[in-house]
Amino acid sequence: MSEYKKAEIIGTPALNGTYVAEMDMWPLEAQEFNRLYPFYDHLREGKFTTTKCRKCGHVAFPPGVICPKCWSEELEWVELPQRARVVTFTETQAGAPIGFESPLIMAWLNFGEKAPLKHLLGRIINCREGQLKEGDEVKFVVFEVPSHPIEVKKETKVCNRVFYAFEPVK
Amino acid sequence: MALKKNAVIVGGGTSKFGIRQAHLLDMIQEAASACSQDIPGLKPDDIDGLIVATTMAGRHSSALNTAPLVVHRLGLKPTSICIRLDTLCAGSNSAIIVAKGLIESGIAEVILVTGAEKVYMPQRWETNYTQLMVNDHDWDSAMGLGVPPPFFAMIAKMHMKRYGTTKEQMAHVSVANYNYGTTNPKGQFSGRTLTLKEAMEARIIADPFGLYDCCPLSDGASAVIIASEEKAKELSDRPLVYLRGTGQHATHSMSAGWPGETLAEWPHLKKAGEVAFKNAQLTPEDIDVAQVHDCFTISEIIELEELGFCQKGEGGDFVASGAIKLDGALPTNTDGGLISVGHPFGASGARQSLELCKQLQGRAINQVKDARFGLAHNLSGTCAQHTVVIYGREPVD
Ligand SMILES: [Zn+2]
Repeated sequence: MSEYKKAEIIGTPALNGTYVAEMDMWPLEAQEFNRLYPFYDHLREGKFTTTKCRKCGHVAFPPGVICPKCWSEELEWVELPQRARVVTFTETQAGAPIGFESPLIMAWLNFGEKAPLKHLLGRIINCREGQLKEGDEVKFVVFEVPSHPIEVKKETKVCNRVFYAFEPVK
Repeated sequence: MALKKNAVIVGGGTSKFGIRQAHLLDMIQEAASACSQDIPGLKPDDIDGLIVATTMAGRHSSALNTAPLVVHRLGLKPTSICIRLDTLCAGSNSAIIVAKGLIESGIAEVILVTGAEKVYMPQRWETNYTQLMVNDHDWDSAMGLGVPPPFFAMIAKMHMKRYGTTKEQMAHVSVANYNYGTTNPKGQFSGRTLTLKEAMEARIIADPFGLYDCCPLSDGASAVIIASEEKAKELSDRPLVYLRGTGQHATHSMSAGWPGETLAEWPHLKKAGEVAFKNAQLTPEDIDVAQVHDCFTISEIIELEELGFCQKGEGGDFVASGAIKLDGALPTNTDGGLISVGHPFGASGARQSLELCKQLQGRAINQVKDARFGLAHNLSGTCAQHTVVIYGREPVD
């Protein structure tokens, strides 16, 4: 049995350096894997968008392939407001998931009574602990997140990615 | 046309809940063993259907198609149904709803419902990371949403602001549930008691929650037998406990589409409760004992409101008045609830239903005198869905 005690390999050597989509906290944003890829293209242009139904006018969030009100496929991309007020919020010091720095700040946001998307839970970044107050205004912000590979025939393509959050209006 | 049969809960058992040195399938076998000890007349061959409720099995135990594994380990030969079902924290009560329909329609006669989770991993980070994967991954998890305490802390802050609920009122829930759970031999905090002072002075987890406002993460498994009235009489000579009515309602996932005016109003629960009470031909006043989803103290308070056991906004007063204690108007979470017993997501619903079965059979550890009707409730996801199951000592007409 003694030879088994000498094992010095820790972890999953077969996966070393390998991208594992099942463990990825960011979306697969590329057109090859996602019909909502325009959302991420719009993020790169600084736009916060979603799908609106041409049949019934319903604005859904998150965006979709069909309208959740009438199941029509006739949708168009529309822009959403980028500024919101903090209704309530929470700052997590301990226990933020790996990949998210502490404090992890979450807020329930109000985009205004007439906004198509009235409320959203969102992450607040670029904000010190203790800085945020109820009623504060925050704005949409886009940032880069890690890329991932996709095998295309014998080549490996790198897919750059972005995501969004909200930050205090200075 | 064949008459509709009546479905009953015969009995069941659970593994020890907590941080377990055990595989998922080990714990399911422990729960099955406890179930067979609870129903001495039960043999594996009596069981014609199996529903396994688990969320984490695919990731944490690399067991995506879980039901055949359970069949093999328990020596079952199901012929009517053999599935895994996942509604996160409501898994096994969802399975009980399915079982009810299968029994009442005559498709199945004796169904084993088992719920189980292996939550703790060799490295602690992985558990929190997996919780990112059980919500709307591309939208919410990428926001860092998904670990429950911050979200429920916002709900608590909103309820405190709108209805004047206090930290002390929330602490009354922890105290009641710890003190019920101290006598539960299978509970994570078995043997532990809690004072109001200890609860109030506990270290903060997510403002306004202290340690005891939150249920723990837990490994564990539960198992119950749902059978036709006729089969139940063959398996056991205990009083019959009927599945009277159920309701389940979801309106959204997490970050967008919240159905309430604010986070403190849970109209989706109100709806699930109304459906269940209608099907059960009962009202909240009829319920003698309840098991409601106390993932956090504020959850129990809001649930008692939305289910109609007190007025909206008065849940804090209701729990602080002693109403949830054994001699109160509505003894609640009488086995210790999620806060004391622990919360292996898919296992919790069957654990609650088993406690109601025992209460209505007059054999619970913390027995409510002459309990005739009982209600179980689960919240699942990040307050995305609500599941209600109502039991009674008589069937609906
Ligand atoms: Zn539409």
